[in-house]
Amino acid sequence: MSDISVSGQPTKSETYIGLGILLALVGIAVGVFLKQSHYNPAIFLGSAPRSGNAATSTLDLSGDTLIDLAEGMVPLSPPEIFGPENLSDKINGKAELYLSAGFLSLLSQRLAQKGDPKSWMEVLVYDMGTIRRAFAVYSIQRRLDAENVSLTNFAYRTENALFFAHGRYYVEVIAAVTTGKMGEAMQSFAHRFMKKTGVSEERIDELTLFPREHLDKDSIILLISDAFGFDRLDNVFMANYSLEDTELTAFLSLRETSSEASGLVAAYHQFLIENGGVDVKSEITMPGAKLVEILDTFELIFSRGKFLAGVHAAENKGEAERFAGALMRTLSGARP
Amino acid sequence: MSRREFLLRTIKAGASLAATCSLSYWLYDSTGPDPSQNGDVLVTLPDFSIPGLDGKMSIVTGQDRVGTVDRALKVMGGIELFVKRGDRVLLKVNAAFATPPMLSATTNPQLLAEVARLCFKAGASSVVVTDNPINDPASCFSLTGIAQAAESVGGRVLLPKEGFFKPTTVPDATLIMKWPLLYAPFKDINKVIGIAPVKDHHRSGASMAMKNWYGLLGGRRNIFHQDIHNTIKELAMMVTPTLVILDGTTTMMTNGPTGGSLADLRQTNTMIVSTDQVAADAFGATLLGKTVAQLPYISKAEASGVGTADYELINPIRASTG
Repeated sequence: MSDISVSGQPTKSETYIGLGILLALVGIAVGVFLKQSHYNPAIFLGSAPRSGNAATSTLDLSGDTLIDLAEGMVPLSPPEIFGPENLSDKINGKAELYLSAGFLSLLSQRLAQKGDPKSWMEVLVYDMGTIRRAFAVYSIQRRLDAENVSLTNFAYRTENALFFAHGRYYVEVIAAVTTGKMGEAMQSFAHRFMKKTGVSEERIDELTLFPREHLDKDSIILLISDAFGFDRLDNVFMANYSLEDTELTAFLSLRETSSEASGLVAAYHQFLIENGGVDVKSEITMPGAKLVEILDTFELIFSRGKFLAGVHAAENKGEAERFAGALMRTLSGARP
Repeated sequence: MSRREFLLRTIKAGASLAATCSLSYWLYDSTGPDPSQNGDVLVTLPDFSIPGLDGKMSIVTGQDRVGTVDRALKVMGGIELFVKRGDRVLLKVNAAFATPPMLSATTNPQLLAEVARLCFKAGASSVVVTDNPINDPASCFSLTGIAQAAESVGGRVLLPKEGFFKPTTVPDATLIMKWPLLYAPFKDINKVIGIAPVKDHHRSGASMAMKNWYGLLGGRRNIFHQDIHNTIKELAMMVTPTLVILDGTTTMMTNGPTGGSLADLRQTNTMIVSTDQVAADAFGATLLGKTVAQLPYISKAEASGVGTADYELINPIRASTG
């Protein structure tokens, strides 16, 4: 207590402490100055892939888990985890597809069959956060003529690969060879993965709302954002129909309220008109429905309760109107 | 404390604040760090084209890449027209992903080996093979078969290392400025050949000869995807190659640039060799079922004077290996 000044003048101890603090601050400032002088924003990589570690991932799985799930296989590479900031390091220009759908993280690893390093596969587990987002990236990448498999509600395989959505996860298992043994290994991995994650299958109700007649069930996709180039149109399900002499695309989107749905119809109609569309007189009697001719095709949009729905880029006006009627009747019976 | 002492202390505090603010203002750098301040001089790639050989192109159909690339070069006058004795050749491949060759997401190893072999046959003293796949380059070069293919014919694979990059600014560019370029592999090189597969691309619509130069960039290059068409145009302005070889034997029609399934591929059985990278991409677009208008970077590159989008104007030589 004797060192504390009561006269208003600092004691020697106080002066030395003060000078020490000032010197430390100057040292820090010089350090920061020197360090930032050598900082190169282009070369600096603050987003390098990390090694598998559940603590740094939003996944319930760790890198160690992947190899545990692959019976008879050994690691060909260490597990890697990528986040939104560095996903493009792994998949380059395709990253935007996942990022726009709400991507959270990716866990990937290459695994080879024991004693046969040329027989390898890469597992990519995308955590999309929700079944809807997982379905969005699954559906938009679905390969034509792929073979559906009864793994989950959303699963198919091709000659060398297996793709499925399971709960919040979208999973790709891509093999470097097309042997039967590798096919079995991929299936085995998928079954173990589903068991391990313990995610329950969730329904996506909108998928059941499209009229069944002439529906190409595998064509249904979910556009999370910017549907048809309109930035306000999000969470839109699309489905293709093969009618007798034409093909047709239907769409629907569940909104928060019926007024939001009808407001979005008006906004999308305005968007079409601003981009060269022309209003066309329609035979249909739905209140608020709009029929627009644009680029030699017809766009028919309407709302029904909380649903916004319609027919996209139809070549035939009559078919568009007839189908819109069927879609409206289906939605009338739906309970959002 | 007296009033006089209070005023003096207030003035001192104010002076300290003013001095701190002045110092901060003096130190503030509104333009951000400049790579050249680190001792790295800005570099640009020289022109690797051969005078008098601009606007040459051949399109050869056939299933076998070795046969089609041989024929494509032969009808253009032979590899000897482009590679002379003692030349140091750099082959820029697409090794972006650690995927097997059968997925056609990367340069085909057999094609690479044949081109390298032809370069040596023409008298090249060295053939360097390089690319900058950001994630795990060693695996990318190995699992694609590119490393083994290059080494099997005496080529030298140069994997990217931090010290290999130098900042570059593409003349007249607005995007690629003071950006790290994979420069060290170009040391002593006097001929550059790009070898790329024809692929769909989620952002740009296509990944072909011009997009292939993207693999020469370092840093956080993914920001360029925000303006991908102008970026590809500037990539084409950045590299004036001796030749480009666009492999449309198997085209990735969907889910590019990664693909992943054989279902993404279609046999299009076409090899394109050209000294005009814009013309090569314009023809490559047709293999993807796309038009030049659907790939804006092609017209942008043409407008920048890089090449010709209407490839028929340069009278491509067509042939078939049967």
